[in-house]
Amino acid sequence: MLTNILSIALGAILINNFIFSQFLGCCPFLGCSSKVDTATGMGLAVVFVMGLASAICWVVDTYILVPLGLDFLETLAFILVIAALVQFVEMFLKKMVPSLYTALGIYLPLITTNCAVLGVVLLNVQNHYNFIESVVYGITGGLGFMLAIVLFASVRERIQFADYPECFEGFPICLVSAGLLALAFMGFSGMQIFG
Amino acid sequence: MKKILKLTFILFLICAVTAGILGGVNELTYRRIDEQNRIKTVKAYSSVLPADAYDEIDFAAAGVPETINKVTIDKISKAANGSGYVVESTFSGAQGSITMACGVDNNLRCTGISIIKHSETSGLGANAASSSEVGVNFRAQFVGQDGGIALKKSGGEIDALSGATITSTAVTKAVAVAIEAVGMLG
Amino acid sequence: MNIKKQFKEGLITNNPVLVQLIGMCATMAITTTLFNGVGMGLSVLIILTCCNVVVSALRKIIPNEIRLAIFVVIIAGFVTIVDLLLQAFIPALSEALGVFIPLIVVNCIIIGRAEAFCQKNTVGASFFDGIFQGLGYTCVLIIMCVVRELLGSGRFGGGLIDIANGFRFTLDGTGGGIQIFPADYGASILNLPFGGFLTLGTLIAVMQYALKKAAKKKELAEKAAAEAAEKEVED
Repeated sequence: MLTNILSIALGAILINNFIFSQFLGCCPFLGCSSKVDTATGMGLAVVFVMGLASAICWVVDTYILVPLGLDFLETLAFILVIAALVQFVEMFLKKMVPSLYTALGIYLPLITTNCAVLGVVLLNVQNHYNFIESVVYGITGGLGFMLAIVLFASVRERIQFADYPECFEGFPICLVSAGLLALAFMGFSGMQIFG
Repeated sequence: MKKILKLTFILFLICAVTAGILGGVNELTYRRIDEQNRIKTVKAYSSVLPADAYDEIDFAAAGVPETINKVTIDKISKAANGSGYVVESTFSGAQGSITMACGVDNNLRCTGISIIKHSETSGLGANAASSSEVGVNFRAQFVGQDGGIALKKSGGEIDALSGATITSTAVTKAVAVAIEAVGMLG
Repeated sequence: MNIKKQFKEGLITNNPVLVQLIGMCATMAITTTLFNGVGMGLSVLIILTCCNVVVSALRKIIPNEIRLAIFVVIIAGFVTIVDLLLQAFIPALSEALGVFIPLIVVNCIIIGRAEAFCQKNTVGASFFDGIFQGLGYTCVLIIMCVVRELLGSGRFGGGLIDIANGFRFTLDGTGGGIQIFPADYGASILNLPFGGFLTLGTLIAVMQYALKKAAKKKELAEKAAAEAAEKEVED
């Protein structure tokens, strides 16, 4: 059990990193990575929402959709759960933990359309994970996203001083450097715990 | 308050209509989807060990463990014509899990493999499942191998796919496990 | 709104991927064979067109406060329909694209067009917007696939074209494609995630270069025209 969970965690953070190997969540990855601070905020918000969404969607799927034979409604139900969850978390934080709200608040609405979140709940169903595995996959997937976005933001802060062809200005040079990071992450593939 | 109720009502209505339409589409398609999945499994089975029918056996009762050497055995089926068994197993490749059907004859030799599901890198590991020449040649190597099967670099006879050592190792290991499992059946 | 202008916007000047820079996840993830690219592109085109039509038809009824929620429900509905149909009729494609079919729900292209275009325009205009934006997306996917497949594995049309028994198109993803040079000579790195980032980055760079050059040319032409006009006045 523990080995299983550890290998899910290792897989989600390094080997099958959401950004660099599965391309889930590229839009916020490129949009929110110009500064390390912003990237950390976004990363934390994603870890939080992905963990919660994995837990809730697992319950919805196992106890409502599957027993009723409504599993074709999964996509629809999951996206509604995520949208409602994001709204709820936003309201909750605003009232109860204002300091965390000021830190994460502006990133929360962006998360609804982050495909990493919908991706992780769909993958949980596809991989037949149980409750604990789903939550672990959600949280570690989020951590992998955070690792990627923070690393990339620090690279990006230095790109400003680099010399590159004029037409690569903006997004293209970011994509190329993200590609190089992805190549570095390739080195983790084939790594196995207690293998 | 009245406004919130109205908004909730509209949202609910749209959700209900959408769910209704989806229910209809599902009703029209689910039989075909089941049929497609069945055809796919039958195709995979008959490509590794030709037979008219396959009877699933309760391998746990026969003393075969569910997991051998990190390869999970999903199903073992006996060919109705008595030529051998098909082992369906799931194991991890380079990118995600791979599901494979492996035919084993009564002399404990592999009669062929077919990859049912995988998420390996296209152009590298995915070649193990592809119908291109590279893929066909890779899979053909497994025919006739016995329990001592191994990659060339480990002293065996199997040529790894270029650029996909991890996938090749995983597939080879799963074939060895399939043979071992059938051996346990006796 | 004229159709010709919409066509040019969708394909070039306001291309969803290359200019608006949205919907990049799937663009980089699935463009490894032509089969995937064409399949994904057409799926998005169909879903986008349907959503555009429905959203613009309902635009007067949808309350402003909950419009995003309603858009998402409509989009998720169409995505699920396409997903089920693919599973039933083209299972190979549904398998190759995997989780990226349901993920079309959060593809910013569709919700972006609903928000930016269909809310303000008629059903007809939204229909053509869907077709042309979808075509723009499909074209980018196809270019990515062709480049990555050719340079990566020396092949063209993997999964879609089968030449083993004469030239034919296959829908079950089994076509081996046309081998242009031996796969061993290809830069197989382009098949890896790195190839996705690199190819898309380069494509956007080429697009920026071309747009900039076109703008400069236009500016020069205008300047020349202005000078000529001035000269005439002086004369």
